[in-house]
Amino acid sequence: MSGVAFVAHCLLNQNSKVDGGARCPGVYSPLVEVLRDRGWRIEQMPCPELAFTGLNRFWAVREQLDTTAYRRHCRRLAKATAGAIQVHVQRGDDVILVGLEGSPSMGVHVTSSDPERGGRPEWPEGTSELSPGSGIFLEELTAELAERGVPMPRATGITHQLPDHDEEAERAAVADLLEG
Amino acid sequence: MEGDERGFRVALIADELVNPAEGGIDGLALLEEHDWGAIQLPAADYGPDVAGPLLEQAAEQADEFARHGYVLAVVGSRAGLDEALQAFGISGLPSIDPASAAELNAFLVETGSRERSRR
Repeated sequence: MSGVAFVAHCLLNQNSKVDGGARCPGVYSPLVEVLRDRGWRIEQMPCPELAFTGLNRFWAVREQLDTTAYRRHCRRLAKATAGAIQVHVQRGDDVILVGLEGSPSMGVHVTSSDPERGGRPEWPEGTSELSPGSGIFLEELTAELAERGVPMPRATGITHQLPDHDEEAERAAVADLLEG
Repeated sequence: MEGDERGFRVALIADELVNPAEGGIDGLALLEEHDWGAIQLPAADYGPDVAGPLLEQAAEQADEFARHGYVLAVVGSRAGLDEALQAFGISGLPSIDPASAAELNAFLVETGSRERSRR
């Protein structure tokens, strides 16, 4: 059964990435190919960091973004996404989410965390901020869907910014998710 | 932007060109081919209560790209987009409602060759 995949903004638009983070010029084709091959519709979620901290933002961890103002911003964006998800759920469509592992906002199973990070943007070479957990936008979207009585879609994250990224494994994980 | 592969080109693109019907124009594939990124516009069958906030977000994100001089264009059409863009002071973007893949291809090549500029 095909359905609707709500995907992180940057997976269709790498221009939204933080400086140094774009893995391709625009569309991340490995994901699109998996979805298209199986007849799934694509819906793009917003990039919460792009509109809040802009294109010149620094790389950031969850703790730097986890403010009341940023959560309000994420909730505003999440309300719009939840509205679209609700339309499809009410139609009986199968809905999934594809986030971005390692992201402080869009991580599904892996986010980034470092409670000490702040001030002048310098930290030791090799510092790893990756940690289990989901991103702030995903949390707000989960909360918004719960308020609407809409079940949280099953979800996975693209791994291309993780050090152990394996494109074939990533394709297989998305394909497994589509199978339900 | 060492190691960064972005294309500095962003298209606000209609849903029916991201999710084409059988025999329709695959706009997303052409964007990829020509190194453009996509801001997908809400599906035509979304009501105003769903589409309105999505259009506002699309325009908000387009504004950030415009502020940094990225090449922006509108591919396809969506009711309410012009008003959403105007709320951010954006108007007159290069646009096309393509009748064929070849037409869209030529548009992306021509428009994509423009230099970035600061607004």
